[in-house]
Amino acid sequence: MEINRRLIEKYHLDECTEEERKLVEAWLFSTEIEDLAILPLNEDKLDHKKQMWANIDAFITPDLKADQAKNTTIVFWQGAIAASLVIGLICGLLYLFVNKQEKLPDFVSVNNAYSENVKHVNSLEFNAAIGPNTIAKINKDAGVINLNGSILLSPKKDIELIFEGTHKKITLKKGQTYIILDNKSGKQGIIVVSQKNLLDLPPVIQKQISSQFDI
Amino acid sequence: MRSLPIPFMPIYKQFAILFLFVAVLLTACAEKPKSVNGKYSFYILGKNGKEYLMQSDNLSNGELKPEISGTELDGSEMDRDVFVKNGFYYHLNRKSPLFTKFKLKNGKFERVAAVKLENFSIENFNWISADTLLLTGLNVKGYNQPEYALISVGSMKLISRGLSGIPKPKGKFTSMSIGFLERNEDKLFVGYTYHVAVETSNYLTSDTMYFSTLTYPEMKLLKTEKDSRSTYPGGINTIQPYSFADFKGDHYFMSCPGIALGNRPEMPTAIFRIKAKENKVDQDYFFNISNSAIQNHAYGMWYLGGDEAIIRSERKDLFKGLGDHYSTAHFEFYILNLKTKSVKKLNLPLDKGTRKQCVIVEGNTAYIAVNSTKEGNNVWLYDIKAGTLKKGIRLSGDTDFILRMDKLRD
Repeated sequence: MEINRRLIEKYHLDECTEEERKLVEAWLFSTEIEDLAILPLNEDKLDHKKQMWANIDAFITPDLKADQAKNTTIVFWQGAIAASLVIGLICGLLYLFVNKQEKLPDFVSVNNAYSENVKHVNSLEFNAAIGPNTIAKINKDAGVINLNGSILLSPKKDIELIFEGTHKKITLKKGQTYIILDNKSGKQGIIVVSQKNLLDLPPVIQKQISSQFDI
Repeated sequence: MRSLPIPFMPIYKQFAILFLFVAVLLTACAEKPKSVNGKYSFYILGKNGKEYLMQSDNLSNGELKPEISGTELDGSEMDRDVFVKNGFYYHLNRKSPLFTKFKLKNGKFERVAAVKLENFSIENFNWISADTLLLTGLNVKGYNQPEYALISVGSMKLISRGLSGIPKPKGKFTSMSIGFLERNEDKLFVGYTYHVAVETSNYLTSDTMYFSTLTYPEMKLLKTEKDSRSTYPGGINTIQPYSFADFKGDHYFMSCPGIALGNRPEMPTAIFRIKAKENKVDQDYFFNISNSAIQNHAYGMWYLGGDEAIIRSERKDLFKGLGDHYSTAHFEFYILNLKTKSVKKLNLPLDKGTRKQCVIVEGNTAYIAVNSTKEGNNVWLYDIKAGTLKKGIRLSGDTDFILRMDKLRD
């Protein structure tokens, strides 16, 4: 008994005898390759193969071409997406870097109590020069300033601050520089003047400020 | 060669003509009215923080707005301690460090000449003559070394500079203030006192005034006296004057121990005299301002002629401390008779600004610039003989403080 079309059809229709079924299954699961048909003597197996591939080619070429075109489009879009991702990534990193530079703290706390030099601090809202022998805390979000000493403040936008523990509120205008003095041990109390009014302060204080802040 | 009619001109030439036309038009439009070259000069601090200089031909009427008629100043170059002589402005920029002569021409501030003045901060100036200027000052690094500089302003050349021979601060004292510089022929009288710096906004002043007599022009120290009737004998006169010589040649100066200068408020503000022919402070003369009807400290004194002077006194009941001393309108003006020691309050609005050059005396009129919070900024005319007041020129627009009002020529 040999494998043929009739036998395979019977197998699929479940009409095989036990013997036929085993034979078909043995053939189906066999890894050995054997020609299903024996060619006539004057025909070359290679010619048949070529013809078959030619037929296949004739049949599938239009689709393959479309696939190739599709592939080109896909490659283009893949490149574009990859480039976008890279650009996006670079932009993101740059943004983070720049933002890190700009995003300065709203809370400034400087202990310059034991220094003879001015300490410069920049925040998102203002630039500050903290004087020698000074402790300064400025919390812009809470709108509170606590100072013991001297500070020069240049707001980048109009800001309002309240001196911690008091009702003293100050409005500082963008573009101007303010001299803020508060010596807890002194009698003078809190002094806030625009740098333009520096010469209204007692000359002794004015000279001390000019020397300290180099203005 | 005939020029082509415009339609036949090359396109680039048409553009060039159009460009020139627009440029001329824009320049003409941008030309704002400039302040006239007048007899008087105002130094204005604007509400927006800008500073202006403007001139006027009269102080009696009209209205001026600094943003229209003024010349905006470069804050890094100029400050209110600029003083005036014969149409020129003089200012020391400690940072450059140049002492410069300027003029205001067609609305522009022009540098005429400058002389280098290193490590020098002016305390007082005194015009020895129209061409010769004597400055007393302190070293910028420490304010503890009294020096002088003699300058010829015609050529802006330094004639001489050196230590003035006045004793430096010693012991607990760390710095000093020179309050007045008066000259009596070949003698100079210099008043000063010493300070202890405690913190940036905290300092102590000696309870004593010191006076030195120096020879002029050698600047040799002849003698030094002490006086403890008050302290802080005068102040920096580039900002405001505190001394003068009267028609007899007697010199008067005012001590300023209030919080705005000496910071010894327990001592009295008082006026002292140096008689013309006696080279010393008159121990028999003492005009106690704080104990007079004024009952306050005062800063700034101007001579009205005869036996009269005008002073600017604070109102301690209207300000809280140094923080609002300059911004609160609390200053009053009083006419003093130096002989009888009588005081008369002028019926003017309260003035703001701790220190200002705000009085000009010309003939029988004292022009007083007042920055009133309620009534605006006006020059007032005080008739010295009649004792009457009337409103003069108004400074409106951006004006916040009239920091200086100077007469351009003597």
